[in-house]
Amino acid sequence: MARLIAFFGKLDKAGRIAENVALMIVLAGMVIVAFLQIIAREVFDTGVIWANELIRLMVLWLAMVGAVAACRDNRHIRIDLLSHLLPEKIVTAIRIFVDLFAAVVCAVVAWLVWEFIKLEVELEFTVLGDLPVFPAHVIVPLAFALLSYRFGVLVIKQTLELFTSPEEEASP
Amino acid sequence: MIVFTIILILLAILGAPLFAIIATSAMLGFSSIDEPLMNVAIELMRMVDLQFLSAIPLFTFAGYLLSESNAPQRLVRMTQAVLGWMPGGLALVCLVVCAFFTAFTGASGVTIIALGAILYPALQQDGYNDKFNLGLVTTSGSLGLLFAPSLPLILYGVVAEVSIDDLFKAGLIPGFLMIGMLSAWCIWVSRKNTRELRKFSWSELVSAVRESIWEIPLPFVVLGSVYSGFLAVSEAAAITVVYVFIVEVLILREIKFRDLPRVVRESMLLVGGILIILGLSLASTSYTILAGVPATLFEYLSEFVSSQTTFLILLLLFLLLLGAILDIFSAIVLVVPLLLPVAALYDVNTIHLGIVFLAAMQLGYMTPPVGLNLFIASYRFEKPIMQVYSATLPFLLILMLSVILITFWPSLSLWLLR
Repeated sequence: MARLIAFFGKLDKAGRIAENVALMIVLAGMVIVAFLQIIAREVFDTGVIWANELIRLMVLWLAMVGAVAACRDNRHIRIDLLSHLLPEKIVTAIRIFVDLFAAVVCAVVAWLVWEFIKLEVELEFTVLGDLPVFPAHVIVPLAFALLSYRFGVLVIKQTLELFTSPEEEASP
Repeated sequence: MIVFTIILILLAILGAPLFAIIATSAMLGFSSIDEPLMNVAIELMRMVDLQFLSAIPLFTFAGYLLSESNAPQRLVRMTQAVLGWMPGGLALVCLVVCAFFTAFTGASGVTIIALGAILYPALQQDGYNDKFNLGLVTTSGSLGLLFAPSLPLILYGVVAEVSIDDLFKAGLIPGFLMIGMLSAWCIWVSRKNTRELRKFSWSELVSAVRESIWEIPLPFVVLGSVYSGFLAVSEAAAITVVYVFIVEVLILREIKFRDLPRVVRESMLLVGGILIILGLSLASTSYTILAGVPATLFEYLSEFVSSQTTFLILLLLFLLLLGAILDIFSAIVLVVPLLLPVAALYDVNTIHLGIVFLAAMQLGYMTPPVGLNLFIASYRFEKPIMQVYSATLPFLLILMLSVILITFWPSLSLWLLR
């Protein structure tokens, strides 16, 4: 059991680092492309046709990785009404229920988007001129699959929390 | 279908992530009119076609960088040097600084956290009464919503497909009206403050300006380029990030390189949370349009709402209720697409509608039960939530008055566009 917990602890750390690295690379890339595009146009009076499309793809990546990261830190936008009104245990119990719901929904969306991207590949859609669409769009089903997994982890974590004795809970 | 809708609303109130609720409503919707579920995926991927969306992550990041640096302190000092000598001076400083800061950080609660810690004790020291301070700081946390480049303004522009530049111009007068009315109230209240007024000092002003010399060009860079139409809003956002990064990280070095992963992550959490809702709402909106919901809504409304004025009254009531339970970003992506066609039939200008929408939603930050500012202030200043409610009430009433003015006097929003 201890080994299992250590393994998941490491997995969590690695996941967090991977998210941070991805976010930083994409954000930096977006700033650089957008900035160079302005310089190219205003100073050299030229430009690259696909620069705008590239920026928009990067927004998609930021949104998806950001959404996965938001789930890890439990920061998705919710109507936060009950947590101020009800005792902690009941709130946790309700959270387990709604997070399970979210995990299922994310799995369904992941599957739908995956099917759609298979279709895009079949129809030989391209991005940025003539590059294949798959690597650019695959982040979406991947992110929803990860979201589903993360909400699942949240469900397990909160269930454990609910059944730990109060003494254990008191220790930080 | 009605049963499902009720279950979904219940799940939302129980605290299910909103994007999951929206995704489910889209899937249920499409299946109810025998459209393939694949539509959800198609609409979600349409996110890559939205123009100017990059402005949202870029401005958010720039705002988080600013709030992590010492820019808030410098901003307070400079504003105090300019306004501090007036009666109620520090209260005015609070309003102006918070409005400016919120415009840059996107009204996400960062303002109260970054500036409240400086302003709240300063107000206390200057002899203002505690209840007033609490209300003022809580209210100020979302004040700059109508000023460029606030995220809700940009998001409205993206969703409603109207010119973001026009929205930026339209928000100016209503935004200043809000600040002006609140300022008048602050001056009125602080007439009882017996403490001697500060003297205006040129040397303090000069030294404050010298200290903030790097930040002073920022609003001119951003607003100048956008208001003049020289750059698109997404380009202005890129310039802003480059400028803020160079100043705060490379020149002033107030943000260390090792802090960057955390700042990037914090800001992108917010962006991810907003954009995933936006993406899935494209799907739910596409269903509601396919199912003819706006037309049905209008048919229903037109039976008892004949004039534009009645429509605006109803709209305002609806938005106040909506703002009390839903955050501003979700409200924009979910409600604006439905509202636009209906409002157009009542001859309400789309830009004016945007300003009304955001102004009314701004009150939502301060209305129970879920007002974000109330909880942040309660947490930050360690006050019971009921005390924050009652302290904020007079400010809320003044803002409500200003929202009514903004709603029924369209020229306030549209005058600068002519």
